[in-house]
This record gives sequence, C-alpha cells and structure tokens, in this order.
Amino acid sequence: MIDQRVGARSWAGPVLSRGRDEGGRGDDSREAERHVFAGVRLILLGVTAVLQASLGFGALLTYPHHPAARVTLAVLVSVTLLCAVWVVRREPLPRVVVVGGVVAVMAASAVATAVLPSYAHFGPAHWSWGQIGWSLLLLLLDRVPALLAAQAAHIVLGVGQWLLAGTPDRAAVGNVGVVVLSVTSLQLGALVMTRFMLRNAAQAVEVAAERERAATRAALAEQWEQDLRAGFAGQLGSTLPLLADLADGVLDPRDDDTRRRCALAATQLRRLFAENDDVPDPLVHEVTACVHVAERRGVAVSLAVSGAPVPVPTDVRRELTGPLVEALSAARERARVSLLRTEGEVRVAVVSDAEVEVGTARGRVEVEGGTYGRHTRMEARWRTS
Amino acid sequence: MADELSAVVVDDHPAVRAGVAYWLSSGTPPIRVVAGGEDVRSAWLGEGATADVVILDLHLGGPTPVLGDLRRLVEAGRRVVVYSMRADDDIALQCLELGALCYLTKAEGAEHLVQATRAAAEGRPYTPPSLAGALAGDRSDHRPALSAREVEVLVEWFQSESKDFVAQRLGISLSTVNSHLERIRVKYALIGREAPTKAALVARAIQDGLIGVDDL
Repeated sequence: MIDQRVGARSWAGPVLSRGRDEGGRGDDSREAERHVFAGVRLILLGVTAVLQASLGFGALLTYPHHPAARVTLAVLVSVTLLCAVWVVRREPLPRVVVVGGVVAVMAASAVATAVLPSYAHFGPAHWSWGQIGWSLLLLLLDRVPALLAAQAAHIVLGVGQWLLAGTPDRAAVGNVGVVVLSVTSLQLGALVMTRFMLRNAAQAVEVAAERERAATRAALAEQWEQDLRAGFAGQLGSTLPLLADLADGVLDPRDDDTRRRCALAATQLRRLFAENDDVPDPLVHEVTACVHVAERRGVAVSLAVSGAPVPVPTDVRRELTGPLVEALSAARERARVSLLRTEGEVRVAVVSDAEVEVGTARGRVEVEGGTYGRHTRMEARWRTS
Repeated sequence: MADELSAVVVDDHPAVRAGVAYWLSSGTPPIRVVAGGEDVRSAWLGEGATADVVILDLHLGGPTPVLGDLRRLVEAGRRVVVYSMRADDDIALQCLELGALCYLTKAEGAEHLVQATRAAAEGRPYTPPSLAGALAGDRSDHRPALSAREVEVLVEWFQSESKDFVAQRLGISLSTVNSHLERIRVKYALIGREAPTKAALVARAIQDGLIGVDDL
C-alpha cells in the first residue's frame, strides 16, 4: 500500500559548515590584528628611539640639568631597548614587561619633573614629558583603555607637579596648554590611525574570506558535478557496449537475447535518471520508474508498497533496485513488484514469469533468487538497524 | 433462494456497483446483490438491511472516509467488506480495528472480492495481499505479536499474490497458509475496540480449533 510521507532532500551540494567557517574567519582577523600591531609598534619603536636620541640626549647636552635627568633618560632608553626585544620579532609585549615598563617610565617622569625649576616646566628642558607619552604608546598600543588611563595620569601628574612648583601666570598657562595639547593630540592621533588600520585590515580579511568561501563552494560544486558525471558513466553499465554492438551490426535487434539486453539497459537508464530526482520517497520513485519501463514493454506489473517510508542512502537504493532492474527486464508477461518496509527491514521483491534467475548476493543488501514452479522470485533485503 | 448468499453494494459510482454485482453473480455459487446505492442508507433500508454482506466504499463522494458508517454497521452486527480506491496502510488497519472483515483495494481483482464476500458471509476474515502488506508493515505499539512463520506467510503472500506460491516456497499446504492468515486476523481481532464481528470471528476460530481458549 502506497503511503508517501513528505520528507526533504537537498541537492544543493555540500556547503561548508557554518561553525567551522566562522571559527576560521575569527583566526584570520586575529592574525590581521597582530600583523597591524606589530607593524605600528615597529614604527613607534623607531620614533621613540629617534626622539630619545635626538631630543633626550640633545637636551642633556644643551641645558644645565640635575643628575636625575640622566637616570630618567637611562630608564626610558632601557624600556625602549627591552621593548625592542619583542617588537623586532613582531611579537606582542608580555604583560610583565608592559606593567613594569609603564611603572618605570611614569616614575622616571615624576622624578625628572620634580627636579626641574618651575619656569622650566613644559619647556625645552622638560624633554622627558613628551617622551613619556611615546613610551606609553609603544607599551600600551593594543590596550587602549589602559593607554588612555596612563596618558590621563601622565597629564594630571605633570600639570599637578607644575602647579605645586609655583603659581603660574596667564601666559605660562597658555604655553603649557599648547604644549600639552599638541603633544597629546599627536600621540592620540597615532592611536586613532592604528584603529583605522585595524578596521581596514578586518574588512580586508572579511573580503578575502568571502572570496575564499566562494572559491571553495565553486570547487565543491564542480567536484560534485564531476562525481555525478563519473557516477553516470560508471552506471551506464552494459548500455555503451550494447549501443556499440548494435551500431556495428554485431547484434541483431530481432534476436531475443538482444531484446533482453536492451530491456535491461533501458531499465538501468530509467532508474539512473530517477536517482537524482528530488522526491519525498526516492526508493518508491526509483522502483516505480523501473516498473514503468517494464509496462512500456507490455509486461503487466502489479506494484504494491507497504509500511511507512524510511530513509535509504543512495548507494543502498542502488543495491536494492539493481536486482529489481534485472528481474523486471527478464519478465515476459506478468510481474508482481513489492516494496515492504517493516520495523527492521526494507524488502524489494519481484515474482514474475521470467526464465532467468537473478543470482544471490551477500553483503549489506542480501539478494536471493529462485524458481518455484512457473514463478521466478527475486528479493533484495536491507536491514535498517 | 434462502441458502443463496446476498450482498448490498454501497459505492458512489454506478459502474462499480454494476461491475461488483456482475462479478459476484458470476461466481460459483453466485452471490446475489440485493440492493445498492450511492450512500450507506441502502444498507439499512429494504432488502439491503437483511443482506448477508455489506460491500462498502470508504469514500462516498467526499474526501473523508466514512469510518463512522462502518462503525455503526459493524455495531449492528453487519459483516462488512471495505472496498476502497485508497491503498493506505493506516486506513486499512483502522478498518480492521473497527471490525471490518476485509479491506480490499480496487486495484485487486474480482477473485479477491468474491472470496472476501464469501468469507464475510460466513463471518470469516479474508486477507488480500495488500492487507497482508499493511499487517506486515504495521509498526504500531499495540500490534499483536506474530510468530516468525506468520510473518513469513504475510510477507510471501504480499510479495507473490499467489497462495500456491507461498505454499511451495514455505513447504506447507494451502490450507496451512490459510489458517496462518486466519490466525493472524484472530490476533488482530483480539486487540483494540470490541465489535460483534470480531467476537464472532474469534469464537469461530476457537470452534474450528484454529486457536485454543488458552491463547486468549
């Protein structure tokens, strides 16, 4: 009894799993981020080194200074050199180095500022103030909140120390404002530029990933089509040699054996075409296709289907319907085709008036054939569990 | 005329009614169709009310099967052969559950219809191949436990449509094939809702020695 339940089968071809895809994209954007940070840090290392050599050493040579200023420069240079160990290898700075470096440069800055006379604050002799900002930028480039906090602390500390050193007049306040603003905005500008680069890199990664996915999909679709074509060619079975022999006149179309071979080839082809149709119950569809070919040959076929549909993989369907194709193409006038789906089995059977028996087979699908009186029987069974 | 079997045919197609009447009357011995009509009233009124067997089409002009009418007929003790165009396992099993003695699809020929009607007139079940398939493919929880041999008989009968073939394949006699099929139907009659026809079927099977009282 035919009972088709609506199911779904997709022939959209294999698609990459979404989870894996997104994971891959995450790795790619992290890699791009590391790349941008490494590049910008290398530039900052150069800037800091040049500034320390020129402005730092230059100021020490040009202006009278307290011995503490030399210590400050030494600390700053040491921190820069320490950072260079990781920066030149394009590696992120370890947390210990970052924390130690920040504390050291902030302390050095406080010391250098404390020994300055009040009039020299934020002047050329206060070279350390601007340098600290660059060092902080180098240390905290990839830790934006910490960097902003450290910069704010640095400004508050510098201005606080300056105010404590003596009451400034209006002109001095204006000068200090200009210095703080220009130095800070230059350094923050570098930070903003880095964020821009990061965003562009992330977009580039996204585009590249999308392009790669499209290429993969195209390659998979092509592979699927090739497999399908190869499968078709492989399953054409006896058709091609039969056609060749008919064309060459080796076979006589009136001959019974030739007719039987043609019937077999026609049924095989019809079943093969039905295999890729998108239908709710593919097995019933393929069995029906085989029955139609036999009916066109004039065989009276009675088809019965019973039991609720169960999913059957394509290759198992092929093994189940293969013997059916043979048995049906051998039937002369009458055939009974049945498909039964019980709790643990799918059974395809043909009882016909054929004189040719289908051989037995043992495997995933068991095939059994035999002759009983006027009837020839074939059954293919597949255990679902 | 008293010992001649009679039937009433309920089908919404006149051609089917005429065809069934012809098939039944040309059997040996012939079965007389005493009434017929496009709805179930013909089975309750006039000669139709006393006919031995009701041959009932499940779809009388509407999309819904007339299971209610089937239930009422069976409750009144009528012996019903359901004759349907639909080859649907679930509907077939439902009809058996309600107490129909046979579920026959219209794709199955005259021979099955005559045998089913004759069996029904005696209060016996008849299991055509398609119904055997429905029973073999039954995966419901409350289905009766069938022996391995009974399942074999069901499947072979479904696959071959020939009892001779089944007997030859399994190395048993034709009457053994029939008694296996009848015993299976008795097992089905013992489950689900009660119906006079099912009780009579079981009683008859005990009388015939097909099953013992211990099997109940």
